[in-house]
Amino acid sequence: MLRLTLVSALVCALGTSAFGETFRWASTTDPQTMDPHAVNSAPVLGFLNNVYEGLVRRGKDMSVEPALATRWEPIDGGGWRFHLRQGVTFHDGSDFTAEDVLFSYLRASSEASDTASWFASVSEVVVVDDFTIDVITSSPNPIFPDSIANWMIMDSGWAAANGAELPAKDSENHATLNTNGTGAFMLTGRQPGLKTVLEPFGGWWGDAEHNITLAKFTPIQNPATAVAALLSGDVEMINPVPIQDAERLSQSPGVKVFQGIEARVIMLGFPHEAEVLKYADDAGMPNPFTDVRVREAVAKTVNVPAILRTIMRGNAEPASQLVSPAMRGYSVALAARPAHDVDGAKALLAEAGLADGFSFGLKCPNDRYLNDEAVCQAVVSMLAQIGLNAELDAMPVRNYWPELRNDNYDMYLLGWSPGTFDAEHPIRFLAATPDADKRLGSWNFGGFSNSRVDELLPMIQSEVDYAKRQAMLDESAKIIQDEHAYVPMYVQPLIWGARENIELTQRPDNFFILRWVTVN
Amino acid sequence: MTDSARQTQVTAPSSEPSRLKTVWESDFGYAFRRSPVALVSCLVVLFLVLSAVMAPWIAPHDPFNPVTLNLMNGFTPPSTPNAFTGDSFWLGTDDQGRDVFSTILFGMRISLFVGFSAVLFAMILGVTLGLIAGYAGGWIETLIMRVADVQLTFPAILVAMLIFGIAKGFTPVEYRDQMAIWVLILAIGLSDWVQFARVVRGATLVEKNKEYVQAARLIGRSGGAIMLRHILPNVLSPVLVIATISLALAIIAEATLSFLGVGAPPTQPSLGTLIRIGQGFLFSGEWWILLFPSVTLLSLALSVNLLGDWLRDALNPRLR
Repeated sequence: MLRLTLVSALVCALGTSAFGETFRWASTTDPQTMDPHAVNSAPVLGFLNNVYEGLVRRGKDMSVEPALATRWEPIDGGGWRFHLRQGVTFHDGSDFTAEDVLFSYLRASSEASDTASWFASVSEVVVVDDFTIDVITSSPNPIFPDSIANWMIMDSGWAAANGAELPAKDSENHATLNTNGTGAFMLTGRQPGLKTVLEPFGGWWGDAEHNITLAKFTPIQNPATAVAALLSGDVEMINPVPIQDAERLSQSPGVKVFQGIEARVIMLGFPHEAEVLKYADDAGMPNPFTDVRVREAVAKTVNVPAILRTIMRGNAEPASQLVSPAMRGYSVALAARPAHDVDGAKALLAEAGLADGFSFGLKCPNDRYLNDEAVCQAVVSMLAQIGLNAELDAMPVRNYWPELRNDNYDMYLLGWSPGTFDAEHPIRFLAATPDADKRLGSWNFGGFSNSRVDELLPMIQSEVDYAKRQAMLDESAKIIQDEHAYVPMYVQPLIWGARENIELTQRPDNFFILRWVTVN
Repeated sequence: MTDSARQTQVTAPSSEPSRLKTVWESDFGYAFRRSPVALVSCLVVLFLVLSAVMAPWIAPHDPFNPVTLNLMNGFTPPSTPNAFTGDSFWLGTDDQGRDVFSTILFGMRISLFVGFSAVLFAMILGVTLGLIAGYAGGWIETLIMRVADVQLTFPAILVAMLIFGIAKGFTPVEYRDQMAIWVLILAIGLSDWVQFARVVRGATLVEKNKEYVQAARLIGRSGGAIMLRHILPNVLSPVLVIATISLALAIIAEATLSFLGVGAPPTQPSLGTLIRIGQGFLFSGEWWILLFPSVTLLSLALSVNLLGDWLRDALNPRLR
């Protein structure tokens, strides 16, 4: 009897390996939640794009294409009408209707949500009939359909039945560990920090391009371990490949490397509102970063070419503004970043009355961006040359965002990739004066505030004329650059590695879309 | 036993040349001179310890002073001029442009400091408990030795990690980096006292029934004085052997903890931390960042261990 069981178990094991295509992949960051409205960060949204869907989605070339809405048109007086796809079901079998869209709007735009600023221009959402819905905006918003590809639709009945009507940002609820979307894959196992299992959804409305029967995601924090796992065939794909290993890996047999430029700009952020420094040696030192000369001195001291040559090994481009040159609305005239000039920086500090320098605390993630901790260490040693002694505190990203939200920093590292691929996006999130009611500046941790930037933002959002819009974007970018609201350093490279038998598509927003994966 | 104990005491550095000469010409010194392993490993240990102690004077760079670092020097291969700055480094540089030779010297300082302090702590704790257990007997002995037995069933590194984790939980976040070294010493010391306690208890059981102890008891000396003044000097020679071997193990334990990322913080890198950093560049061809700290750790631990082995043989009268 026991032998029979063993034999049948063996047959089963052989059977699955022969017919099914299991796909295992690894990344340094575990998506911290399975709730599509709780955290507006790329690891979460990128992962959940496989499980949930929005009204629109982005194709392989980042162009917007129909998803749960089949077509849309502007309506008079500002707003858009979306015609929804019929016959779509959620993973648990319930039907998708306009009610779910309305519910997902309320959920994603609520105060408990991290995604509320996506809907800053929306005044109301009106259900017309089961498969038509109107999004009313306070003024014409030409880029609205472009800006909601990551607004994912959740089943209203499921959320209500499980007490997950509102997203849980820093706590947990049913939707943190479970999902019910309409996407091509459904979540069948979730152990935070250990592994997450996805299976194809049989009732998906689209035509499957992939041939995966089971997909397993494992977070591997140590980059060298991830490379070893890829080389030994323990995983089929890793994201990212450590920069230092890209060249060697591309020459290894059985493995290939996908390389591109990501939309993400890595920058340093300042406390603009804080009265005193939190981590200065002499406690209670007035916050020197409110002085634009000090911020400019920092910008001049950070030797970006050196970072790019050594830590990034020539795989990244310098950045001068909050978006990369590949984004719509980039200001070509402002492409130069401050030259590396230690003497000039010292002179600026002296002018600000801080010739002796000061000490402060630099916060940094150590598992979020490529070589993030090494970049911060380099920044520390560069700033020391003008007498700014930074104490570096590097931590995993799950502790990092709460620290920033609690204002526990004197300077921090941030990477920003505009979800809309438009220069307006970082202004709305990073430069607009934080305002919970208007859903603005939700990632502007330091509280940078400039009345002209605030004034320009709604005008940019509703401007239909391309040239006028660009002129306003240029003006905003100029103010942000002159004020040194942030110190943009470089555009992060995008390097993935996969086994040779894997076909996949690398999207510039670093989202890994499972339905484009083929295992040969 | 008594003789050898006295001799080991004299091996401690002494300024009197005549005493040194006595040791050199004794049986012990003869055994040392005749053993090439002992000679070589002693020289290696002396060389490494001296260079660690002298690190601030002999290191070409100060790896802890960020002002002196130039990022453009990053990843310079050993003894090759950097393509951009023209600077050359004997053992190359790491990703931040730090001189690998200097980081090894400073790293070894921390490794040795943690190793010595942890062994000292374990020795004091173990010898005290072992003496008390052996001399007092009864339920005190049972209690101490059963705790020791239970601890022996766990791997030392596991105990150290447990203690390190608990202690870290109690330290406020802002002091964690400064306290890390002391917590490390505590963790490794607490995981290592059992060896000392067991050996000292065994030796004490033998010694306490000898005539000189009974004589001391008869003239009315207190228990503490008997343990300290009479028994302790006579049980010290095995303790010295264990301490030497424990030193090698403590250095390895510290490196293991630091390699796992729970030991010395990156701001005070020990050899283990350096190996952990270097491991990230293993696949990318910058072998020197990993290799040189590893070789240093290997030679340090190996020669201390060989020295301990030789000491055990030399102090064992049955092997003479």
